[in-house]
Amino acid sequence: MSVSRDGQVGDSGMITSLQVYCPGPVLSYNPLFYNDDSDSRLIYIPDLVSVRFRILLLYWVATEIDLPMKLNRYEKLVSESRAWKHGLLLLFLTVIPLALQAQPYDLVIKGGHLIDPRHNIDEPMDLAIHEGSVARVAKGIPADEAAQIIDATGLYVTPGLIDVHAHVFSGSQPGRFADGFNSVSPDGFTFRNGITTVVDPGSAGWRTFDTFREQVISPSETRILAFLNLVGYGLYGTEYNNDRQDMDPDRTLKSIREHRDLIVGVRFGHYNGADYLEPLDTALRVAEEAGLPFQLECNLPNLDVEEVLERMRPGDQFTHSYEPGRRSLLDEEGRIYDFVWEARRRGVLFDVGHGGASFRFTQAVPSVQQGFWPDTFGTDLHRYSINDGMKNMLNVMSKFMAMGMELSEVIERATWRAAQSIQREDLGHLGVGAVADVALLNRIEGSFGFVDAGNFRLDGSQKLITELTLREGEVVWDLNGLAARSWTLGKP
Amino acid sequence: MKKQPLLTTVLTLLVVLLGVASAQGQEIDILIKGGHVIDPKNGINEPMDVAIADGKILEVAPSISSGSAETVVNASGLYVTPGLIDMHTHLFYGTEEIGFSGFEITNSHGSVQPDAFSFRSGVTTMVDAGSSGWRNFPDFRRQTIDNANTRILAFISIAGYGMRGSIDANVVEDMDPEATAFLIQENSDVIVGVKKHHYRGGDFRPVERAVEAGTLAGVPVMVDFGFHDPPLSLETLLMEKLRPGDILTHTHYSSPSRQGAIDEEGNLRPFILKAQERGVNFDVGHGAGGFQWTQAVPGTRQGFWPNTLSTDLYRWSMNAGMKNMNNVMSKFLLLGMPLEEVIARSTWEPAKIIQREDLGHLSPGAEADVAVLDLLEGNFGFLDARGLRIEGEQKLETELTLKAGQVVYDLNGISSEPFEGW
Repeated sequence: MSVSRDGQVGDSGMITSLQVYCPGPVLSYNPLFYNDDSDSRLIYIPDLVSVRFRILLLYWVATEIDLPMKLNRYEKLVSESRAWKHGLLLLFLTVIPLALQAQPYDLVIKGGHLIDPRHNIDEPMDLAIHEGSVARVAKGIPADEAAQIIDATGLYVTPGLIDVHAHVFSGSQPGRFADGFNSVSPDGFTFRNGITTVVDPGSAGWRTFDTFREQVISPSETRILAFLNLVGYGLYGTEYNNDRQDMDPDRTLKSIREHRDLIVGVRFGHYNGADYLEPLDTALRVAEEAGLPFQLECNLPNLDVEEVLERMRPGDQFTHSYEPGRRSLLDEEGRIYDFVWEARRRGVLFDVGHGGASFRFTQAVPSVQQGFWPDTFGTDLHRYSINDGMKNMLNVMSKFMAMGMELSEVIERATWRAAQSIQREDLGHLGVGAVADVALLNRIEGSFGFVDAGNFRLDGSQKLITELTLREGEVVWDLNGLAARSWTLGKP
Repeated sequence: MKKQPLLTTVLTLLVVLLGVASAQGQEIDILIKGGHVIDPKNGINEPMDVAIADGKILEVAPSISSGSAETVVNASGLYVTPGLIDMHTHLFYGTEEIGFSGFEITNSHGSVQPDAFSFRSGVTTMVDAGSSGWRNFPDFRRQTIDNANTRILAFISIAGYGMRGSIDANVVEDMDPEATAFLIQENSDVIVGVKKHHYRGGDFRPVERAVEAGTLAGVPVMVDFGFHDPPLSLETLLMEKLRPGDILTHTHYSSPSRQGAIDEEGNLRPFILKAQERGVNFDVGHGAGGFQWTQAVPGTRQGFWPNTLSTDLYRWSMNAGMKNMNNVMSKFLLLGMPLEEVIARSTWEPAKIIQREDLGHLSPGAEADVAVLDLLEGNFGFLDARGLRIEGEQKLETELTLKAGQVVYDLNGISSEPFEGW
């Protein structure tokens, strides 16, 4: 038995009444204990025992914890059987756990092609999940070992994707990324794209991180990690971005230590001053002291790419890698600069950071033709990229497939290498014991177009879509109802 | 206002003549060529081109010359429809009212950001279903409506604080018809009706107050009839309390606190079709809980079809069986609704019901809100709000969306130039 959510969430954490949905033909047709109380929790009893038994079980659970429950037409059934209560409760306490022990896994995903780059797996493989973690990866896991089976035939089974560049500090302030309308509320863009973890690129700084945590990170179902902006307010608007007084290394460091579970790096960018190297060095120093990577957002009018790449350490990130202009990684002949190759050899990472304006085929195509592929597929998700050429992370990944990247390499960059880039090696793979964040992807064939920031289109013949997403073993997205029970239209 | 018939005729003629003259003289900004136009208001369901200029529909006709068009979109194999209208959404996204008991819809994170869901589903107009009330509508307007690219209209709740929490929804004293009607009149450009929701009492007072407000302001009322304890008579609501033009939402829904249109034996209750005949409208309002195959299948099999298709988009429905407007529309294709009707009930029908007849069609001169849809063939599964799946072979997907003549979503770049540098 598990308690989960059916769109009804109370805020108190107290169970004040039960909202029950029993699967099974009879109960689905007449949801008998359904109660619309908004302070309710859903109790879900899997399809293990008879309908009649489940009704009794639910009723007794309710009475044991003294909760009101509607019985409707099943009242008679319950009262007739009340004498059996203790006997059946005993049965519940003994037989059911035994029955569950016979099925060591909550869920087995069978028949899919598993890609787990960390463990060099790229072949048909079943995946067993138990209590929110990966329990086993093997061929031919028997179906009777699982309480639930998902048939993944024809699909790719991958670790939950990680978007390393997503502005999600959503709020109600117009024109702002921090606590603002320019950021995007995460859960609407993650699970439907196979993403289970996003990394916010410095929308918050030390002054605003508490708000970010309380307002967005905690209530979201998506795992949210963050680079902390060197600017105390974060991305609060131009005048704030350019305020050197608000760039306080000590308080930034203090905030990182306070939120070490969520903060994965330090970020600097969006600064108009000619003296940009001074705050950039400060950010690097804070990152060094915190033992975290530094991310450069190169929205700096005075930027000299060579100079900053020389300063960046192995593991530091350069984002918006395929943007023309001052921050271009290509020389006038369209060749990748030697100093860019040198930075990559030293271990500096290059993120896509697609966004609304930061990805052009005129930059990306010559880059990848010279073998300069990105390390990660950060989307730069925000209000102005969601409906543009970017759209979502799978679209960005598919775009690189259209430019010739193999699927396994695409998955590696969207999972394991993304996890490594933020020093979170607990994520981005399907090792036994790892959190069961999983994506089931479908590679569809057809005629597709992929658009850049200059409104140019590159045609491709394949595209990734998400069939199903698990977050800690729970189904959080199910495009075509793979995990659902079948129903029928019946006779017309 | 009373119009003289002669004057009307003359004016109409003048408008038509001016329209023709301008169509001949004007440059086309975007020409959508080769698509199959479905424009239910104008009775069009055939291959047609659509020309757009200055953000307005210039002309819908077979084979418009692409000579003067700045952008030509090849829509062959696609359906071209008016921008979709989603009658039931929750968009009062914000950070103020977190922690209230309930769905955290009002100025909270139970609502969603409109632009994140609209254009990618061909939706250009979203109607918020009562997320705000007369006490906090100004915040909703300033915070969401004025900042969104999507056109946002609203039903306002009869409860003063909207859907802030379960307590507010139950304080009848705060349901003020006069204040509500006053606010509607002050904001008649965006408020299109009154919503009643989530009242647990066993009486009709909130419905009556909503109807009173609706009558004072001349707008329809939308009723969510759930949560009543004990449940109230659906027949009384539909046959006595609601006026022609009012709306029942969560049409395909039944629970112990809400009678379904289908009774326990699977039969359509006899008064349902009578209510529809007397002008009460039925809205889908899918949501996380408001759409059950066990109601929709027997209902449609017995000839009961909803007047408007809508999502009840909010945080807890977006990733569940609902997903998006196109998915909800595809479910009605699966149930046997013809595509033309699916489009009509997502465009012109809702436009009429919310008394916004400027929307939901492609008449020359109308705002160029356009959806270009693909009807995919394949094996698809459609989930209801109770975790049941029915399989189908067709699914609508949005290729391109225009709002006021601007491309606001383009899935495969059909309005873009090909990149030649590969």
